[in-house]
Amino acid sequence: MECRDLTPQLDDCLDGRLDAAARRSIQEHLERCPDCRRRHQHAVALQAALRTLPAPTPRQGFVDQALSRATGAAAGAVRTLRRGALGMALAASLVLGVAVGVFLVTRPAPVPTVALMLERPETVRLMFNSAKPLQAATLSLALPENVELVGYGDRRELSWQTDLREGGNLLQLPLVARGTAKDELVARLSHGGTSKTFRLKFEVDNAGKSGM
Amino acid sequence: MRPQVEYLYRLAWRFTGSVADAEDLVQDVLLKLYPRTRQLVDIERLRPWLARVLYREYVDLVRQRARSPIADLAADAEGEDNPLDTLPAIKDGPEEHAERSGLRERILCALDRLNPEQRAVVTMHDVEGYSLEELETILETPLGTLKSRLHRARRRLRALLSVEPFSAGERVNG
Repeated sequence: MECRDLTPQLDDCLDGRLDAAARRSIQEHLERCPDCRRRHQHAVALQAALRTLPAPTPRQGFVDQALSRATGAAAGAVRTLRRGALGMALAASLVLGVAVGVFLVTRPAPVPTVALMLERPETVRLMFNSAKPLQAATLSLALPENVELVGYGDRRELSWQTDLREGGNLLQLPLVARGTAKDELVARLSHGGTSKTFRLKFEVDNAGKSGM
Repeated sequence: MRPQVEYLYRLAWRFTGSVADAEDLVQDVLLKLYPRTRQLVDIERLRPWLARVLYREYVDLVRQRARSPIADLAADAEGEDNPLDTLPAIKDGPEEHAERSGLRERILCALDRLNPEQRAVVTMHDVEGYSLEELETILETPLGTLKSRLHRARRRLRALLSVEPFSAGERVNG
């Protein structure tokens, strides 16, 4: 067996779908190939982590509320206007306009608010629209206290140099709230001596803490 | 019905990764099912059946978003060529990164980067433990398609979890 033969068989191996001869062949290869052994161990570890991936329980009162609405609707009551899924998508997906060289001047807008559950990662999406490709723009993030970018611990300020392509450039920010966030997240995109600043507020709900 | 609602919520959250979307999906399913409550009693294996109803709602939600003003964003986020991958990078080594971040959170973020179909099959199979044969019915998808979808989803997860969250560009400070 060669290294290139492992990839197509790895999933079947993880799922126990290989016959004894194929399993033995893989085992022998893993014993003599440290790279494939590491790849296999990584895959096994990921499967184990997925198996035990917790999910939150519904927030307090949600089940009663949902059942009540369902029964109310069945009885002919007017359906309560709920927060629409699409509306939430828009709320969590915020668009920044960026023009070449000169950033779009916009009227002062209310700072949008994103709801986060305590200790529960949520991905906030920022869309940067660029009329033309921008080389080496600088993106800076200042995170409020108690809000972390997943993977970056308690670092409050981060910045990167990146290229923007023409059209939409999606930045997904996996954020997790560690406590109440009083301040705003500030994202600043700078290019060619001009910059555009974007602010975001958070509402942190404690209900998620017991669910994870 | 309460345990089933909690089960539905769990699946909805796994599909969407969002509390708000999970609540909306569950609510929509309950609104559809409530007039058929008596019929549910006769269903032999209720949970897979409920999962199928929920998955249909989830597919509807994804389609609804594809028609929305943020269609470009949604489409980009679903593809393997995620624009996020062209955005900021960090140059710390994997060991240092692993120390700073919880594996669970990193997995949840990696799941966010799968397209909806990949996310559904990997969460139902690898997290919830349904067999591919069961998923043929629940996800109403042929076995061969499910296998290749699962393969691509796992390959992408492994790639995402073996590198930094931002895979290109250069972090300049912070």
